[in-house]
Amino acid sequence: MSSDATQLEIFLARLYTDAHARADFKANPREEAKRAGLSEEQSAALERLDWIGLEMAARSFAKKRHQKRRRTWFAALKTRLSRFRFFRFVH
Amino acid sequence: MDSLTDRVGLGWRPDLAAGILEHLDDIDLLEVIADDFFAAPHSQVRALKTLAAQVPVVLHGISLGLASSAPAETRRLDQMARLVDQVRPEFWSEHLAFVRAGGIEIGHLAAPPRNRSTVDATAANLDRAEAAVGAKPLVENIATLIDPPASPLSESEWLNGILAASPCALLLDLHNVLANGFNHGYDPFEFIRQIPPERIAGIHIAGGKFVSAPDGSQRLLDDHLHDVPDPVFDLLEETAARAPAPLTVILERDGDYPSMDSLLAQIGEARRALAKGRARRYHPVEAVR
Ligand SMILES: [Fe+2]
Repeated sequence: MSSDATQLEIFLARLYTDAHARADFKANPREEAKRAGLSEEQSAALERLDWIGLEMAARSFAKKRHQKRRRTWFAALKTRLSRFRFFRFVH
Repeated sequence: MDSLTDRVGLGWRPDLAAGILEHLDDIDLLEVIADDFFAAPHSQVRALKTLAAQVPVVLHGISLGLASSAPAETRRLDQMARLVDQVRPEFWSEHLAFVRAGGIEIGHLAAPPRNRSTVDATAANLDRAEAAVGAKPLVENIATLIDPPASPLSESEWLNGILAASPCALLLDLHNVLANGFNHGYDPFEFIRQIPPERIAGIHIAGGKFVSAPDGSQRLLDDHLHDVPDPVFDLLEETAARAPAPLTVILERDGDYPSMDSLLAQIGEARRALAKGRARRYHPVEAVR
């Protein structure tokens, strides 16, 4: 698929997950978009970004990543404990 | 359409296991998060197979990221294929979202830019998924707090583009439609009227909450931590009035669990909404909203 589209997704993923990237982009949208290798058209579209939605989405994604890390930790612990017959029985 | 062919079930969550097993007579089917079992020990997969022998099970993926310009990862598709092969669900489903790009894990479902390029890339990923798993997934519309930039297509145009490019069925999440409609200024009933009713096979219902945005406005967050609000049941009635095929409805609840009675009451409410919508199919009247 078009590398333009891939570049844009990578740029968005960075904005969604990195507060510094968001701050840099907000301070200088054109420059940051250009630096990321985005096209003129994509850069122009990003200047009309839903900034409030971006902040709220980023907060929501961060919460999900935190929950996921906790779940993964618990799952690993459970897998270890499930080797013991007794634990398997009570679960 | 005989309303008896529609089914209403619940998302399987370990915290709800005891209550679900006690009330299997009131629950037509269970939706299991596939990703929870990709790295699970054999004993857990065996338990899931035992469950699937007792009650119809469908598998729901959350991390394939099929709506991406990047090809879906073979390793992840193979994990889904293996689980589908072991559990033999009635069907499997995934979201129309991208969840990673360039090695960055977003951690949840993100809406890609809605344009021709992502329509085509998604269709290609659905082909890859079918090749690996043996069947295409039902595809689910997602909720998004941000209106994705660089999107010349509206959400319904983009969704219709994917349905036109790929012969897959739709898992229509009605709370996601409600949330996106509220957050991005469209009429959720109009959205439902814009998608091809014959492609709708599955429905998700859930509840969320209103959150304050930094500018003082409100947005509807799809957190699955609250009861299903009335507008979602109204949307379910509307969908049942339009969709010709039997519908599989799943109540999604991810935490702050209420009593089992409350969950069963919401399942009952969904059955009533389906029946009302099906009754309207014989005497179609334009709903005034
Ligand atoms: Fe959903």
